[in-house]
Amino acid sequence: MTSPDVVLDIDGLVVRYADGPEVLQGISFTLGPQEIVGLIGASGAGKSTVLRAVQRLVEPTAGSVRLGGTELTTLGPVELRDARRRMGMIFQEHALVDRLTVMENVLCGALGRTGFWHALRRRFDPADVAHAFQLLDRMGLSGFENRRCDELSGGQRQRVGIARALIQNPELLLVDEPTASLDPAASVRIMTLISEVCSESGLAAVINLHDVPLARRFCPRILALHEGRIVFDGPPSELTDAVLTEIYGEEAVEPHVAVGAPAEDRRDD
Amino acid sequence: MTTEAARAWRPPPRIASAGVRRAAWVIAAAYALFAAWTIDVDGARIAEGAARAADFFGGWLRPDFVTRWTDIRAGLVESIAMTLVATAAGFVLSVPFGLGAARNLAPAPIYAGCRGALAVFRAFHEVLVAILFVAMFGFGGFAGVMTLVVATVGFLGKLLAEAVEEIDPAPLEALTAAGATWASRITFGVLPQVMPRILGLTLYRLDINFRESAIIGLVGAGGIGATLITAFARYEFESVSAILILIISMLFVAELLSSRLRRRLL
Ligand SMILES: Nc1ncnc2c1ncn2[C@@H]1O[C@H](COP(=O)(O)OP(=O)(O)OP(=O)(O)O)[C@@H](O)[C@H]1O
Ligand SMILES: [Mg+2]
Repeated sequence: MTSPDVVLDIDGLVVRYADGPEVLQGISFTLGPQEIVGLIGASGAGKSTVLRAVQRLVEPTAGSVRLGGTELTTLGPVELRDARRRMGMIFQEHALVDRLTVMENVLCGALGRTGFWHALRRRFDPADVAHAFQLLDRMGLSGFENRRCDELSGGQRQRVGIARALIQNPELLLVDEPTASLDPAASVRIMTLISEVCSESGLAAVINLHDVPLARRFCPRILALHEGRIVFDGPPSELTDAVLTEIYGEEAVEPHVAVGAPAEDRRDD
Repeated sequence: MTTEAARAWRPPPRIASAGVRRAAWVIAAAYALFAAWTIDVDGARIAEGAARAADFFGGWLRPDFVTRWTDIRAGLVESIAMTLVATAAGFVLSVPFGLGAARNLAPAPIYAGCRGALAVFRAFHEVLVAILFVAMFGFGGFAGVMTLVVATVGFLGKLLAEAVEEIDPAPLEALTAAGATWASRITFGVLPQVMPRILGLTLYRLDINFRESAIIGLVGAGGIGATLITAFARYEFESVSAILILIISMLFVAELLSSRLRRRLL
């Protein structure tokens, strides 16, 4: 552990897919404990690539990624697996296994510490099962444990995805466009839930969002990605129209976008 | 705005050049004519065969289950046993081959090896494989089971590999991101996505294997086919008819059961 007040330290991260151009051209930022940053940028800017490179779902071409002092880019397969368990990931399209039950999907997050034969026979650690029930309650999904995931609505699935990430007891959440397939009201509820669980568990998080008003509302710090570089790093108040024009182009800047209107808390999104 | 005539649209033709398209039709027609020409039709033999066919269809109308019942029963029991054993063993063996032959899971050398093995398993028709195994292991059910196992692994392995290549990669990636091991990723991320389809195909293969067990019996690999060829050799068309009726009824029952089971699985 180099410094206890840095959760994630990315330095000069470069990513190139196959022989294509560099999608990320040297990204650097650090994330302190409980810090929540919103990563914004146009479609194709490389937001997902940042998260995938941190998890090494895509191999960084150059640069360093440190998780609480552990250099991730040089880890061997076994240590990498251990490191991945320390980061919970939430995906845009939920990435749940449709044919499995809600409980099985949540416990997928605990597979990293469950032996293969136990997992095969669905004999999970009772502590993990208890934790899973607790998380389902927290997600407003009590009683859903035996429902198949393909029977759930988009918002419900996303909450299963959040529970799956949280059961890892992660130090950091990597969240990729959690609201991309939800309506505005459901988006606000999901973002509220994510920021609440982050503060309850003292988690740091990187949240990719294409919805700028939503990012402004929920993220105390915003990073903007443009053409593989970070072009803005600061609080939402400093995110001016000039910056938005730079990253999204002229058309995108509409001062009166009505997103993020709080809705009454429906359970059945 | 000027008014515009309604714009016509047709799907683009598969073969872009009209000349090539016309030539393809001409060649196909010419070949069909030529092929018909080369089949020589012998009137005398047809007449001779017609008499035997009349005999045969006569026998059909008078199926005889009784005279050869012990042989028929033994043949049926052996065929059913061959079918069940070969399908179960083939299913189990097809899983490693199928996973190994999926491009999205297996490293290149394993992929090539498994694809190659599956191609070899499917290279020859069951009858040829049965002849080979009868030569190796002697007459009887064991050669038949071996034949059906090879065919089943070839069939299910290839289809499993294709199913695995079409899975949604996102849940698998989520499991990787959660630090799950390779074995856990397969059992949670891959198998749930392909199992319903594979179990359905296995039931279908059970059907095929029963039918094949009747065919490979003709070349000495045991089962009801052996009983059938014996009855044919003795010109006992009444017994032949009984055996065919039994085979068809078995397939009906199998169809009923498997469609029921399939509905449960999906
Ligand atoms: N597997 C891949 N192989 C090759 N190129 C890729 C791959 N994944 C992404 N890219 C390219 O990398 C660039 C950045 O993609 P990325 O998915 O990180 O963007 P994003 O900011 O998340 O976009 P979006 O808002 O649409 O999700 C894009 O130009 C994309 O075409
Ligand atoms: Mg993305």
